[in-house]
Amino acid sequence: MAITRELRTNNKITWCPGCPNFAILESTARALLNLIKQGYKKEDFVMVAGIGCHAKIFDYLDISGINGLHGRSLPTAMGIKMGNPNLSVFAFAGDGDTYAEGMEHFIHACRFNSNMTLFVHDNQSFSLTTGQPTPTSQLGFKSKALPFPNPQAPINPLRIALSAGASFVARCNSKDIAGTAEIMEKAIKHNGFSFVEIIQDCLIFNQDMIARNELMYKLPETSRFVSKKSNLDGAQEPKVLDKKRSLDEAMALAKEWDYNLGKGKIALGVFFQENKKTFEEHWPQLTNLMKSKIGWKDLKR
Amino acid sequence: MRINILIGGRAGQGINKISQIVSQLMSSRGYFTFNYRDYPSVIRGGHNFNILSISDERIGSHETIIDGIIAMDSLTIELHKAELKKDGFIITPDEFSDLGINLNVAQAGALIKILGIENNLLIEEINKEIGTKGAVAAAEKGFNSEKQKFSLKKLNNKISMMTGSEAVAQGAINSKMDIYLAYPMTPATPVLTELAQRQLKENFLVFQPENEIAVANAGLGASFAGAKVMIGTSGGGFDLMTEALSLQGITQLPLVVYLASRPGPATGVPTYTAQCDLDLALRAGHGEFPRIVIAPGCPKESMENTNEAFYLSNKFGALSIILSDKHLAESEYSYIGEINKPLKIELKRNFPPNSKAKANSYECDETGNATDDPKIIIKNADARMKNYEEIKKECKKFTMIKIHGNKNSKNLIIGWGSTKGAILDAIAGLDFKFLQVIYLKPLSDEIKKEMQKAKNLILIENNQTGQLGRLLREKTGISIKNRILKYDGRPFTPNEIKEQLKKWQ
Repeated sequence: MAITRELRTNNKITWCPGCPNFAILESTARALLNLIKQGYKKEDFVMVAGIGCHAKIFDYLDISGINGLHGRSLPTAMGIKMGNPNLSVFAFAGDGDTYAEGMEHFIHACRFNSNMTLFVHDNQSFSLTTGQPTPTSQLGFKSKALPFPNPQAPINPLRIALSAGASFVARCNSKDIAGTAEIMEKAIKHNGFSFVEIIQDCLIFNQDMIARNELMYKLPETSRFVSKKSNLDGAQEPKVLDKKRSLDEAMALAKEWDYNLGKGKIALGVFFQENKKTFEEHWPQLTNLMKSKIGWKDLKR
Repeated sequence: MRINILIGGRAGQGINKISQIVSQLMSSRGYFTFNYRDYPSVIRGGHNFNILSISDERIGSHETIIDGIIAMDSLTIELHKAELKKDGFIITPDEFSDLGINLNVAQAGALIKILGIENNLLIEEINKEIGTKGAVAAAEKGFNSEKQKFSLKKLNNKISMMTGSEAVAQGAINSKMDIYLAYPMTPATPVLTELAQRQLKENFLVFQPENEIAVANAGLGASFAGAKVMIGTSGGGFDLMTEALSLQGITQLPLVVYLASRPGPATGVPTYTAQCDLDLALRAGHGEFPRIVIAPGCPKESMENTNEAFYLSNKFGALSIILSDKHLAESEYSYIGEINKPLKIELKRNFPPNSKAKANSYECDETGNATDDPKIIIKNADARMKNYEEIKKECKKFTMIKIHGNKNSKNLIIGWGSTKGAILDAIAGLDFKFLQVIYLKPLSDEIKKEMQKAKNLILIENNQTGQLGRLLREKTGISIKNRILKYDGRPFTPNEIKEQLKKWQ
């Protein structure tokens, strides 16, 4: 596989050998390059990272950004949007990062609908701190920090995001580099808050969950249903139906998997997408900055 | 001449309107006023009172020996009778029982008559402030119900009135602030409200995120993108911001923090006052990094110091904390004269999209990427401390301390922040010098010299343990034995201070 060299720093990568974070880095580079081809400017990309294994991506991508505090990627990212709403802002965060330390920000980011993107690298464990359970760790997760297997049932972040009003909710598998890149690109292009859960194995601290790859299947086309019809040769070809997936339908898909092993199917793709007024569009001060294509620093007063 | 009027009633009855009408009329007549607000954390009912002091000379405090009571309910009379002077007056609610919501207007009218102000000025003010027929009639009825007791002739002073909160907001606007973020918390909330109401007209953004953690992190994000940012809170909210203040320390993204104290620990006494968060402001945040802590003592200083905070933060990539408290934030002061011309705030760092910028919570190399290299760790730490040396030099351009009172006195009072008003009013005409510390970090070198010159050192603070005293001992090696401390949630009055100062006279 050809590794994308553009948008990369020369920093030595310190993820464990075989870690899916390498794949997420590759997907990100591909998604951003594709966006640049479509007219996005590299200079407008601003990333934010939290703290955890995922956050090392900050050192490997050669774009602007803040490597912030554990759990605080989202308010930091939203602050950047307030400071200059013309920037394309996306946050990388971990599952412990987002759902333990930073859960309040996650829910409110869905509610505020700022035009930015959240990528959660969900390996269902705290790994940089050597293997403790996170809110998405499966029942029975084993840890040196627990006297017995994890007794707490995992939360379902997709259901939370849909309930809290996220306007773009998607899930992808880090092992599928092209599929992940495609969803990342769609998420950044979406006008509103986009939440992308990237399922990621931890080869060191949560090997039990590697088997979940068997449960995955891809959802049809973004926000539309697909039915099959026979063509003249009698072969099946997909037909796109002009019907958006409703919130209830998206919720039903999200419920298919409870983040434990062995039960349910794991849908991948865009679960839900709707257009509604963004945070920036609610505030005339920010709308004016967008119209003039400037940030506060260039505003003459 | 000084007249102190207590205006009391249940929360929601409108005692603040009386203070407002009277103080506006008095200040337009050239009189200085000071309005102290005392209220529990109750929205409707309970007992609130203001003490409005009126003087023909500069004042910065209230007194608890009262010339007159305006009672909107009988409880006010019961509670405050003992504070009334022998020849004091009481305006009861009884004779206006048919006026409903205009009771306060009628009582304001009655007071105006007692003070000896003409009826037409009162009516003009009521028309401007309220403008209903009922209010005007009530004001007339009140005016006609009393006899004139004072004769306050028009003076030539050009008076401006302001609370400490309005002053901080104005200071931020003078600095061309772009974004203010805050989560509601007494007594910092009035700055949020004031700025929120002015944001569309003046074109800046005011937003209330989900909590103070979000406030502080979003503040740094906005600063990264090139906005001039202030965030505001009180002690408990400031605690939540602490980790992000440390993030400021390593990223050196400019950040101005407005911290308005109230008595702690924990929820403490939310609607009362204390100077108990100096230690917190000086030390909050893990790791070692520079900061600036400025404590204005009155609204005029609040405007100037807020502007200096923006200037220093943006010039040096520093954390500036403006330390106030409930007494300064919510009391209404009058002042004369202009404030210093606002300093121009210049942003010199790199911003996206114009140039690539990386800010890192991890110790980082020149590219902004994380490093554990011991040489770089030392280099960065040294750079932070060198930056502090530059900040110290720059601060010398500003008024870091003020000397008030008898400049040749051997009796030196040292204090900071909101005690300024009461101390100045207490020592008027007495043999005391008052050193007001405005910059608490960095500290002025002049302080030690002044302390060494004095025979008697007296510390006055609105807290239990003398936090400034400790700081001065740390920085100068001089310990202040004479301490006048108050920690009942109430601010000092001049008489209280005078009483304690007697032994040095």
